[in-house]
Amino acid sequence: MDRKEILTELKKVLAPYTESKEMLDGINEDTDLIKDLKINSANLVDIIIDAEAQYNIEIDFDAAEKMYNVGNCIDVISEKINKLA
Amino acid sequence: MISAGNDIVALNAIDKRRTNLPAFYSKFITPSELTLYNESDISFQNFVWLLWSVKESVYKYLKRGDGDLVFSPSRIKIQQIDVADGFSNCPLQTDESIDLLYSGQTLFSSDQLYFQSSINKNFIATVVNDDAGFEQIYWVVKLIDKPDHASQSKAVRLFVLDKLNSLIIEDDLWINKHPIGYPILLHNNQQIDIPISFAHHDRYVSYSFQIPK
Repeated sequence: MDRKEILTELKKVLAPYTESKEMLDGINEDTDLIKDLKINSANLVDIIIDAEAQYNIEIDFDAAEKMYNVGNCIDVISEKINKLA
Repeated sequence: MISAGNDIVALNAIDKRRTNLPAFYSKFITPSELTLYNESDISFQNFVWLLWSVKESVYKYLKRGDGDLVFSPSRIKIQQIDVADGFSNCPLQTDESIDLLYSGQTLFSSDQLYFQSSINKNFIATVVNDDAGFEQIYWVVKLIDKPDHASQSKAVRLFVLDKLNSLIIEDDLWINKHPIGYPILLHNNQQIDIPISFAHHDRYVSYSFQIPK
């Protein structure tokens, strides 16, 4: 799965937690989950759990703390998927 | 460094089933912190979100002094949680009654901070300080009409400006956002040294600030 495909899937993970649907349609690797997508920080763990289920991976403490930016999310997910491959 | 940090969790907006799953809470609560849980004092759901709100508040407090700081909830160690009798110097202004009060201390790297938290059936609200005394802290929770981000942002700004205007009697106070993300208070385009923190979740907004001695 390449970064573009991960980004497409990531939109589905983020969709329930943002009211900024227009921003979600236009996200890129610089998009900040809290500042740009207006996602409440209380949902960040939900997003990590949903991403784990979506990609069948496990995201640990250290990786989870990087996931506040779309590019970093893709880094973490890509690394975990590649470890499984 | 004088700073401000607070958080609020609206309990109607959380996933209650998920809260109790180890796969969820282990993302930010460490095994040693789980030993602080005492079921006679607090429900497990509220314990989980109390720890989240403390860690979020600590991060906000420290971010003001370290713009590169990354939120690492598992590295913010909650060392002690006590049931408190009351926060006489720190009124929580809401029409709702508060059921439980907690205080305690946390450690992140070499930074020791203290917290106070108020809980009722609707929310968990927390404020932190670098001193166990909270006499200089103004901390308030408010219920608003709409839960969208624009309404939350507007309401909490009006709310804090109303209070600040009553305390320091300056016209033309306004709030801007520092590039790092925290709110700053301005008067005639000059930043005023009163650190402010905002929090919002669903229909609850909260602010904390302290006026330096």
